[in-house]
Amino acid sequence: MSRYGVRIGSVLALLIACALGMQAPAPAAERAAFAFDGRTVVFTQIIPQSGGRAISIDDPGLRSMLDRIGATVTWEQGERYILITTAEPVVISFALGDRRYDVGPVTQQAAFAPFMLDGHAYVPLAELLHGLDFAIKPDGGQNVLQPQIASIDIESSGRGAKLIAHAGMPLDARVVSEQNGKLTVAFDGVGTQLERTRTLAAGPVRRMDLRTSGPAAHPTTFVTLYLAPGTTHSAPATDDQRDFTIGFNGVAAAQPVAATQNTPPPAPEPGAAEASGSPSPQMTPAGQVQVTDVTPESQNGTSTIRIAVAGAASYEWHRLRPPDNRMWIDVHAARLAIPPLDETAAGPVTAIRVHQQSPDTVRVALSLAAFDTVAVTPDATGLTVVVNASPADETVARAGAGMTGAQAVAAAQPSPSPGWKFTPQAAPSNYAAPNPRLIAIDPGHGGSDSGALRGDAIEKDLTLDISRRLRAVLVSRGWQVVMTRESDKDVFAPDDSARDELQARDDIANSAGARLLVSIHVNSFMNSGPHGATAYYYKDSDVALAQAVDKRIAAEVPVKNIGIVKDKLYVVHHANMPATLIETAFVSNPDDRRLLQDPAWRQKMAVAIADGIADYAGTPPSGTSINGQ
Amino acid sequence: MRTSRAVSIVVLLVIVAGVSWYFASHRRSPVGDRVTVYYTKLDGASEVPWTVSMRPQEANESAAEHLQNAVLYAATQAVAGPPSDVQALRFPVGTHVLGASVNDSTATVDLSGEVKNQSAGVLGESGQFKSLVWTLTALPGISQVAVRVQGQTLSTLPGGHLEIDEPLRRSDW
Repeated sequence: MSRYGVRIGSVLALLIACALGMQAPAPAAERAAFAFDGRTVVFTQIIPQSGGRAISIDDPGLRSMLDRIGATVTWEQGERYILITTAEPVVISFALGDRRYDVGPVTQQAAFAPFMLDGHAYVPLAELLHGLDFAIKPDGGQNVLQPQIASIDIESSGRGAKLIAHAGMPLDARVVSEQNGKLTVAFDGVGTQLERTRTLAAGPVRRMDLRTSGPAAHPTTFVTLYLAPGTTHSAPATDDQRDFTIGFNGVAAAQPVAATQNTPPPAPEPGAAEASGSPSPQMTPAGQVQVTDVTPESQNGTSTIRIAVAGAASYEWHRLRPPDNRMWIDVHAARLAIPPLDETAAGPVTAIRVHQQSPDTVRVALSLAAFDTVAVTPDATGLTVVVNASPADETVARAGAGMTGAQAVAAAQPSPSPGWKFTPQAAPSNYAAPNPRLIAIDPGHGGSDSGALRGDAIEKDLTLDISRRLRAVLVSRGWQVVMTRESDKDVFAPDDSARDELQARDDIANSAGARLLVSIHVNSFMNSGPHGATAYYYKDSDVALAQAVDKRIAAEVPVKNIGIVKDKLYVVHHANMPATLIETAFVSNPDDRRLLQDPAWRQKMAVAIADGIADYAGTPPSGTSINGQ
Repeated sequence: MRTSRAVSIVVLLVIVAGVSWYFASHRRSPVGDRVTVYYTKLDGASEVPWTVSMRPQEANESAAEHLQNAVLYAATQAVAGPPSDVQALRFPVGTHVLGASVNDSTATVDLSGEVKNQSAGVLGESGQFKSLVWTLTALPGISQVAVRVQGQTLSTLPGGHLEIDEPLRRSDW
């Protein structure tokens, strides 16, 4: 009986559930209680949503929590954007119906889009809390809203450095121990999900260990810093917001970031290089880039390879497809200043080989135990390669390039504050360019397709002119260039379909194996109102390129900057490589049209696009300069 | 004893099946009495919601039919554009909806040939389709929109930029 009973029961339950489901009632709101800041806060307007939970922005519990941390909500019935401004202030911006949301300058993707239900706006709970630097932690029978240390960063300046910690609540820190070159600082009331151990670039702070202990409601996070011998530090200081700083070797704790970066490094002193444990760039003969040290280190399933580079160098790295788990990093125009290295290691990196690959290239080759997660990060004094014993998605980037030295530091300085807050990268491309020195330029329209027209301003002519200027600038900087058309013609055939025409352009860039594609266009509209320049993207891998080019256009070209816009544009979608379509200005707007017809303005636009490409792709990989095709 | 238990199970199942069939066939349309139409502002990025009233489900109209009619109605509203005093990106003059259908979560909209008369800019072209896609995906159960022009699937409009051969989703913008 009991067996039948269970079966009948489950069948009945299923059928009744089906019948009720057809009525599709609105999901019932849930209550969720959290311990927060010594009291209990109850969210009453939470509903389950695909991929997570949604909370009404009007939830009284949420509002009281936001009040407590000094955050405000800006939203009114009928508006699309929901803005939460923290005390810092950082603006967390959601838009109804759009999965993308912004935390400060960084756009991220939520599990689901905010939506309206019964007159209330609902936003993704986990994403909101993450934006506020909070995490939900179970503690016995309750859940705790735990403020998080969102970032700890070391900023180097000369021989000194500054540690900056940032969290979801004002930080309260105390030094708990200081001996044998180890400095331990305790942060009460905050947890962290940052990596447990970080080996740092040579400098006063060499390693940092993080440990959180205590119950989730009353956590303490201990940060242990391993200091180079002879390092001095300032007393911990906190500004009025959520930053906490310690200065090393004479750098003031609360000194503004910009000031320290603009200070030239102090003159090298005898013994200073030994004290910091790293060769000083000033000791390098002028004009000669050198790889001065390569130090592998493995612990807790992570291998860290520090490549010390004296001078600014361009580098690129490649990895092979699984199951061939090898990768290499080439430092260009550089000499190896230490004996070649060839040794086996334990950990995710099983072997390392360092040698002078060619007269001007130093190669660091690694054998990995598996297709693990790899990060290659440049900084002022070289490169750090971190290999984690966690399987990488097979679609991750298998190549990359950039600059070490001052350029790496400049590139790592995002313009809007808070710059050092953890900065997710736009999705890296999994595209390894067969010809990394080749840039594809697509002059929009042409031949039988004039594009937009206003009087004697014809899109196909303007795009070709700007493209030719762009090619000249790129070639002068050492790039190779392939153009989808060099004259006023259809790329596929006269009077062809737009698809054939656009695919033919993608085919040229794809078969040439170009590093990236820039399609040059002129916008138009039915009335003269809209004006300005827009960088369009579609694939995740396009974002960084579109951003870089757009930023330079905004800075260098006198035209309104509309910004970067996602759009399913055929030519961008079907390019294998990162691509962006630049609508340089509106031919339908009289002021923009005047600009478009000015050769000096078109030259500025071409230079700005080339500068954006340089910001994105660095300098061309080494080799003698070859003129464009 | 055993037989009677089996019989009672069968009877129970028949009743439950009957009840669920009743609910299924008399299922109320998930579309309410209002439909939100989105218009793309001249910046090409922001969508402005505009509420229009939708007639209720009729007695002889199934939920699926009501949804399909709502798709046709909402698409017609989106293509027609907002009142003339509202600034918005509009479809080319004369564009109208020839037909609409729903298959699973895909709404298919057939547009008249006037839609090909684009003004050669990405802004207008993109904004028009964004408005259409946002409007239809606001309807319950619709997650993507397939575009036909005079019954044909086109990769792009003539001289156009936007790819329209695959169903478009909100995430394409």
